[in-house]
Amino acid sequence: MDLFDNLLLGLSTALELNNLGLCLLGVLIGTAIGVLPGIGPIPTVALLLPFTFGLNPAGAMIMLAGIFYGAQYGGSTTAILVNVPGETSSVVTCLDGHEMAKQGKAGTALAIAAIASFFAGTVATIVIAVMSVPLSVLALKFTAVEYFSLLVLGLIAAVVLAHGSVAKSLAMVLLGLLLGLVGIDVSSGAARMTFGIAELSDGLDFVPIAMGLFGLGEIIANLERPAQRRVVSQKVRDLIPSRADLRAAFPAMLRGTALGSVLGVLPGGGAALPPFSSYALEKKIAKDPSRFGKGAIEGVAGPEAANNAGAQTSFIPLLTLGIPANALMALMIGALMMQGIQPGPQIMTEQPRLVWGVIASMWVGNLMLLVINLPLIGLWVSMLKIPYRLLFPAIVLFCCIGTYGIANSLFNVWLMLGCAAVGYFFIKIGVEPAPLLLGLVLGPQLEENFRRAMLLSDGNFAVFLTRPISATLLLVVAVLLLALLSPVVLRNRKAALAEST
Amino acid sequence: MAPVTRSGKDWQDLLFGLFLVAVAAGALFATRNLNVGNAADMGAGYMPRVVSLGLLAFGLFFCGRGIRRAGLAIEPVQLRPLLAVLAAVGIFALTAEKLGLAIASVVTVVLASFATREGRLRETVPFALLLSGAAVLLFIKVLALPVPVWPR
Repeated sequence: MDLFDNLLLGLSTALELNNLGLCLLGVLIGTAIGVLPGIGPIPTVALLLPFTFGLNPAGAMIMLAGIFYGAQYGGSTTAILVNVPGETSSVVTCLDGHEMAKQGKAGTALAIAAIASFFAGTVATIVIAVMSVPLSVLALKFTAVEYFSLLVLGLIAAVVLAHGSVAKSLAMVLLGLLLGLVGIDVSSGAARMTFGIAELSDGLDFVPIAMGLFGLGEIIANLERPAQRRVVSQKVRDLIPSRADLRAAFPAMLRGTALGSVLGVLPGGGAALPPFSSYALEKKIAKDPSRFGKGAIEGVAGPEAANNAGAQTSFIPLLTLGIPANALMALMIGALMMQGIQPGPQIMTEQPRLVWGVIASMWVGNLMLLVINLPLIGLWVSMLKIPYRLLFPAIVLFCCIGTYGIANSLFNVWLMLGCAAVGYFFIKIGVEPAPLLLGLVLGPQLEENFRRAMLLSDGNFAVFLTRPISATLLLVVAVLLLALLSPVVLRNRKAALAEST
Repeated sequence: MAPVTRSGKDWQDLLFGLFLVAVAAGALFATRNLNVGNAADMGAGYMPRVVSLGLLAFGLFFCGRGIRRAGLAIEPVQLRPLLAVLAAVGIFALTAEKLGLAIASVVTVVLASFATREGRLRETVPFALLLSGAAVLLFIKVLALPVPVWPR
């Protein structure tokens, strides 16, 4: 069986000693930033990218992936104990998780969250492994025409399903595409928008852009809000949930995992959508919906499982097709490119050790999270006592050094400064910066594939509609865009997003 | 949460629109001499032209919508955090290669901590020295970043 061989190959990669170490490092960093509100996984991954240069590609990806799902995990700890969601994805966990903690059942809530996450992580790993094979077979049939349509679908879907105004997000994608065009044109050698600056001839580095827009811009906006006082109390005990608790939580875990696995694959789904949908589902099918918000265990188990499953299955489009489902996956693509690996449909056949190693490492990493987190909860909670007034200058400094470190260029530091100002502007006018990053990373590929497709078809645009796979992909794009115009969807989307902000 | 005050124009839309129009115009100007070609034989200027025109269209759309409909007012800009953080990054760029990482780190952290009124120099300076030491250890000794530690 192919699948089995692949998983074995992956496990043998993931269990190599230095990869195990990197996985542990990744989940530890991830948990830390998950616990700390005010720093998300996007700037952290951007910050660490330069230092993955020296690692082998598999090790680098294993660590960066660990940061991502570790952060989902850490976010729930603070949500339960102090009612502060470390990440957007754990906002719903606050509702019932913190309520349980108030009733003295903090230990049970934490344990259920951990078990649900681990269970979902295990299932999602298998889902990834099973889904990857047929998708990559399909991907091998792709030519430039299909790949272009796929890129368009990826971009549009990411925009439609994510937060914020669709029109603004589309404009941001275009802005990202434009930034991606800066540099020497590959085919003609002409300099585009380099303004005579030598550092621009290789194009804009996305690390300073990501750190400026997401990291520093966010910090400036955070500082404008008055500081919150957080009270950390309560001893955590009874970490082993009772049988009755487990019996109540298990069906919710199953449903959450299924929902999260599906929603995670969708572009733009990423981190926020699965837990909210799962919470809504649990509330809807519960015999007594009034228990929710008052410490219902299903309200912790379902969303936590959905959250983790979604975080992991959002790697599927990346690993099989080279399409990022969200801004964080766009950074992962960047990490691959820095390693000299061209992401795309061929990646599974050309880099089986890398792809399967990353997949297997997710399961290993989830196991690590389960083991290191429950005993170390006191440590994570004490991290919350670090005041923001000390935390943010440290982040600013590390952003500066990290940006400088990518190419040892001060130009990048200046670029980050500019992006910080623009990022702050975007926050002020209520525009999400994530689509910009997608456009920036995918821009060069989009142009290259469009150029090749046009060469193949002699400039005839109809080629995108006459080839079946491409036509199907574009049909999905059309349906997505049309659906947006329908009033019912519009209203539901608004309601769903309003609930999540 | 967003404030409840409403204004006669949607300033969020309007400002975003103006920003897009400015970027698009700049890009069209910067790429005006590139060969555009046609779809079958794309020149270097083809994609920039298409994307910039798209941006321009979006920009005009948001400008128009912003003028016509009422929207939420934008929360006032607080200069202190904005200027302090930007200045901290700027001072790092100016000093890192000339004065070395050790000094640049201290200056950056101290300057950044001015972003909030809660900061006290008695606390910030020792913390900055500590961070500077950690940064030198981590980035230069462990990660071998080729930047000087001291002024040269």
